[in-house]
Amino acid sequence: MRIKLTSIMVDDQDKALRFYTQVFGFVKKHDIPVGEYRWITVVSTDGHADVELALEPNANPVGKAFQEGLFKQGIPATAFEVDDIDREYRRLKALAVVFTQEPTRQGPITIAVCADTCGNLIQLYQPPGQQPA
Amino acid sequence: MFTNDALVRLCRARDALREVHDRTLTIDEVAREAAMSPFHFIRRFSAVFGDTPHQIRIKARLDRARLLLVTGERSVTDICMEVGFSSHGSFSTLFARRVGVSPSEYRRRARSTVAVPGTAATQLFPGCLSLMGPAFAIFEKQQHS
Repeated sequence: MRIKLTSIMVDDQDKALRFYTQVFGFVKKHDIPVGEYRWITVVSTDGHADVELALEPNANPVGKAFQEGLFKQGIPATAFEVDDIDREYRRLKALAVVFTQEPTRQGPITIAVCADTCGNLIQLYQPPGQQPA
Repeated sequence: MFTNDALVRLCRARDALREVHDRTLTIDEVAREAAMSPFHFIRRFSAVFGDTPHQIRIKARLDRARLLLVTGERSVTDICMEVGFSSHGSFSTLFARRVGVSPSEYRRRARSTVAVPGTAATQLFPGCLSLMGPAFAIFEKQQHS
């Protein structure tokens, strides 16, 4: 058993594919139309290039309630690791990404939280051992 | 930087835009409720949700129409009024442009799939993982052709 795929709920798959590739910088792996929706996955070339993130259509009211509830409480839906959080923060800010938390040191890690324009807050974190001096 | 308070006000505004009111709220009214100027409201709203307030309203109406078309027996005209459109013509045109087929065709197609009791939800709102099997079948076919 291995972790090869994970997913995130998005309120619009077109918008999500645009944001996750053009803004976050992931690369499209699959984009297969299945009925009204699509099977879309992206990968990150920077790191584990074989691990896929599926952009899951969030049409189900149950999923919607969960996603919107978390968002309203300011809770991130997932987290992505970055090497240099200050650089990433500046890069994303320049692309008009909205942050609800600027890079903040939390013990051994530094985190920041931003909106993915698809209904989620995303936590970015710089792991321990890669902190600026 | 966004305060959590501003985020919550934007979420409330989104809720208000999705509801159908007796009288359609103007964007200015929704902005006022969120304690922002219309200019800042539209800019911040779009940066957070990826759609303008108007786009969110239209999407919500069409989503609700899709649900009513599949699950109920009401006429297309009735549904058009119920979700907040005032003209059948503009509703049908917009629906067809966004969904790909007319409202009545959408209903017909949804009805023609064999309904197994208790499975309507998964057909209407497939989770991504339920798309995986069909997607890989299509993918394999593409690879071999």
